Amino acid sequence: MNRLRAEGLSLGYDDTTVITGLDVAVLDQRITAIVGANACGKSTLLRGLARLLKPRQGAVHLDGKALASMSTLDVAKVLGLLPQTPIAPDGITVADLVGRGRYPHQGWFRRWTDRDHEAVTRALAATDTADLIDRPLHGLSGGQRQRVWVAMALAQDTDLLLLDEPTTYLDINHQVELLRLLRKLNAESGKTIVAVLHDLNLAGRFCDHIIAMDGGAIVAEGPPSEVITAELVEKVFGLSCVIVTDPVAGTPIVVPA
Amino acid sequence: MTLSTVANAVSVTRRRRTTRVVVVTGGLTSVVAVLFVVTMMVGSFRLSAGEVIGSLLGTIDDPSLDFVVLGLRLPTAATALTVGLALGVSGTIFQHLLRNPLASPDFVGISSGAGLAAVSGIVLLKVTGLAVAGFALGGATVAALLMYVLAWRDGVSGYRFILIGIGVAAFFDGLIGFVLSRAQLYEARQAMHWLTGSVGQASGTELRLLLGGLVVLLPLAVLLQRQLRLLELGDDTARSLGVSAELARAALLGTAVIILALAVAAAGPILFVALVAGPIANRLLGPATGSVLAAALVGAALLLTADLVAVHLLPTALPTGVVTGAVGAPYLLCLLATTNRQGTGG
Repeated sequence: MNRLRAEGLSLGYDDTTVITGLDVAVLDQRITAIVGANACGKSTLLRGLARLLKPRQGAVHLDGKALASMSTLDVAKVLGLLPQTPIAPDGITVADLVGRGRYPHQGWFRRWTDRDHEAVTRALAATDTADLIDRPLHGLSGGQRQRVWVAMALAQDTDLLLLDEPTTYLDINHQVELLRLLRKLNAESGKTIVAVLHDLNLAGRFCDHIIAMDGGAIVAEGPPSEVITAELVEKVFGLSCVIVTDPVAGTPIVVPA
Repeated sequence: MTLSTVANAVSVTRRRRTTRVVVVTGGLTSVVAVLFVVTMMVGSFRLSAGEVIGSLLGTIDDPSLDFVVLGLRLPTAATALTVGLALGVSGTIFQHLLRNPLASPDFVGISSGAGLAAVSGIVLLKVTGLAVAGFALGGATVAALLMYVLAWRDGVSGYRFILIGIGVAAFFDGLIGFVLSRAQLYEARQAMHWLTGSVGQASGTELRLLLGGLVVLLPLAVLLQRQLRLLELGDDTARSLGVSAELARAALLGTAVIILALAVAAAGPILFVALVAGPIANRLLGPATGSVLAAALVGAALLLTADLVAVHLLPTALPTGVVTGAVGAPYLLCLLATTNRQGTGG
């Protein structure tokens, strides 16, 4: 059973169509990476899966219901998305921002409940950002800031979490740290995670499933060791390379030829 | 850190914030109440606070006192209070929605639109009272729609909206000059007086309309604050968190435009209160808290003070708009200087 899947999905902006007739089923309780060259439609697909883009044709289904027919609020209780470059008002504190992630679970008049408190606490603890709660977001380092945004998405407490290039702007250490965090979340709570990633080596190392896209279509899909091949990298990225095996984890590593 | 330490830290932070909100909001309410009473105490002859409050609550039965307090001074004081509340709410909604401290309705052409429509009504069609309010509302709505169409493409990118707004405002101001140049002397004087902005000029009808509008729209604005706080994180984030972005934005803009138009209709375009109320409230409550209620109270306190200064402290009584302008202009310069340095204006 796949809770999130798309059938015959076509997506686009204004007068350009980016994705045509795409079928995809997101594996439950697994980490999926969407990879591909720039402008191949990765982010567009993610936005379509999160209901931020209306399908031109076809449909996205969440728990068997058409996403387009569900209310924004009902979707937000089950599925969260962290945009590529989220914006925050000047001076906002970490506690304030993470607290705003509770929105879909609060009513017009309902005050802060114990459940909100618990969710925010768990989100801060999981992302190791608890000691930052009184700090303004803009004063933090790039790595800390990204962890805080993930904390906000976690406070939303959804079963499915989509992340658009969460490792961009981070140094290698922070990239690994963030992906370890996603692994931990997946292992502890069985969260289904889909992330657009640029680094094939990290995607292969930390994700269960890889979706490779080219020209708005899925060209390969499966476990990293099957998908990341010299032919695929040549085809998708136009890079001739040799694939070696990661001495630590045994996952594929792309080495430019 | 263990989970319980984190839980504790979250509690402490939240409690501290709640305390601050309660203290600041309570403090602002008292300041506004005191200013409201003081406004009615001073004048050609002085009254004590007891007399003013007694007359307001009906506990002192003295027809001559009632005449001065309820007949002469209450309308002005009530106008200053309600217009101040309205400008504060409207300004802070615009600023947060457009994510720019410069985006107050006076700067993005909404006030000018209301002014142009009202002046055209006064000069060309010789309308008065309620009809002026209707024209102002129409003008503000048209200006807001114009801004939306011209500047809103996939959300708002800070400076483009402000620049287009300044252009639209200049265009409207030019048209106001043109309309005035076609006017007869009497209507021109009427319109000029209206344009300077003064809390003393509101008629009973306009005041009641504004009061009625606030009773409905202020609570609505406070309720919509939850959506506003997510919209300022960007449309994608807001939608992923469950806000219907277009609907919430339309509701917030509509509320802000109507409140502003009613205020402009009552007192004319009073500058800078809408610009500074929100940032002052944020300074008091902590950055980015964006409380609509606190901004409204700051607006009321500012306008009541400006009116006291304009009418009683200066050697000759001036329209309120002159005083708010004189105080607001340095703030604007300061804001421009610092936002440019931080690079956060757009």
